[in-house]
Amino acid sequence: MAEENHPRVTINFEFRRKLDEIVGGDHHSYCYQCGACVAQCPAARYNDSFNPRTILQDTILGREDVLLAKDSPIWLCTNCYSCYERCPQDVRPIEVIVALKSLAVAKGVAPDAVASMTENITKAGVSGIITPAVQKIRERLGLEPLGEYPVDEMLKLLED
Amino acid sequence: MKLAPFYGCMIPIKYPQMEAAFRRTMPNLGVELVDLEGFTCCPDPIFFKTKGVLDWLTVAARNLCVAEEQEADLVTLCSGCTATLKEARFLLAEDESLRDRVNERLKRVGKEYKGTVKVEHAVVVIRDEIGIDKVRESVVRPLDGLKVAIHYGCHLLKPSQIMHVDDADYPSILENLIRAIGAEPIGHDMTLLCCGKGCMDDDMPIEMIFDIFSSIRDAGADCMGLICPTCFSSFDLGQILVGRKKDTKFDIPVIYYFQLLGLAQGIPPEDLGLHLHKVKADKILSSLGVVAGAPPAPAA
Ligand code: SF4
Ligand code: SF4
Repeated sequence: MAEENHPRVTINFEFRRKLDEIVGGDHHSYCYQCGACVAQCPAARYNDSFNPRTILQDTILGREDVLLAKDSPIWLCTNCYSCYERCPQDVRPIEVIVALKSLAVAKGVAPDAVASMTENITKAGVSGIITPAVQKIRERLGLEPLGEYPVDEMLKLLED
Repeated sequence: MKLAPFYGCMIPIKYPQMEAAFRRTMPNLGVELVDLEGFTCCPDPIFFKTKGVLDWLTVAARNLCVAEEQEADLVTLCSGCTATLKEARFLLAEDESLRDRVNERLKRVGKEYKGTVKVEHAVVVIRDEIGIDKVRESVVRPLDGLKVAIHYGCHLLKPSQIMHVDDADYPSILENLIRAIGAEPIGHDMTLLCCGKGCMDDDMPIEMIFDIFSSIRDAGADCMGLICPTCFSSFDLGQILVGRKKDTKFDIPVIYYFQLLGLAQGIPPEDLGLHLHKVKADKILSSLGVVAGAPPAPAA
């Protein structure tokens, strides 16, 4: 049997088990590669290199090198949930992509912008920065000034 | 009727005009707003969630606990908050062992998630609990002839398994709310396209915003109407930046639904913070016969 006709496929189960431990990553094995998730995917429509079905294919093969590369396609996903809506297998592809993103964050290979977007939430409990200018605009609109958020309580929840 | 809003952080901090519009319009629907204390960011379902899904879920569950302790269902004003809090409810109801893991963490702050409160976006609460008739009755200045291109945004509708709001492909909730204030919803090809905010690519969101605004312009709409501050952040300043790159000018005001409702209720545009938008609504205001009024009175 010629090797070229029947190339050997290696599956990295260790990577898949890691994904299984993340909330939402565990449905990846339900995928039967039908492609229904691609039909309304805006990221696939606007960028030829993105395809949620092939991301799932790479996930099933455990191709960590592709999925957690610096230029991994996962960061093109717009988080629109169309694939979740379409998938007949309850794979919830966007949730698998988010789980993959979280592995990339943990590995330190996520785009810098991602960390900076969450940084403020873990500092102040909110995503924006409450400046005197913000309070002034609120006052002019007849709104109460913003107070403190219970960030300490939130941080206790984030300790491992 | 009493409602407990979950304002989130993007609206109170970045777009307080949306909070002002909500606080000023809801009493006219016979609603009393009860402000609860003790919330944090929902937290955001796109970036914070990638920091750790269990972290995201636990912080969301803590916010739900705050509402449970005060026995209040939550009304959200932002599609992101809606997505996070409703998905958290869904996941914690679906998987008991996951709920145990989350509750184990919540113990550190003396809380326990029980699953006793509901969460819905304000437009859904209007449709299902307050009634669209109340909206109609509150109108003193119908927005006759105003053509509004609706931008649904993704997270109000999808996934329908969790959101249970409307048909995700042929929704009608926002069209009905727009008609109730006398305006005309204008259909266009890109009404359900994502705003692109979650995408980390430099070019893709530009192309998406360009296509959405070109489609709205072709359809002859006077403005865009939406219900999500994240979409707003893509579109208000976004259309100007994209216009510069593409050598065109869209000049299509982007207006939050409760600002439109406020105009129809006769509330002065400054009280609704329309002057804070990058793309000014002056043209629509003058065609509606609205003139600038006195400085704002305190909001409810
Ligand atoms: S994720 Fe779902 S829709 Fe996409 S290919 Fe797999 S089974 Fe089909
Ligand atoms: S959530 Fe991401 S993968 Fe799924 S359809 Fe939207 S852009 Fe495509």
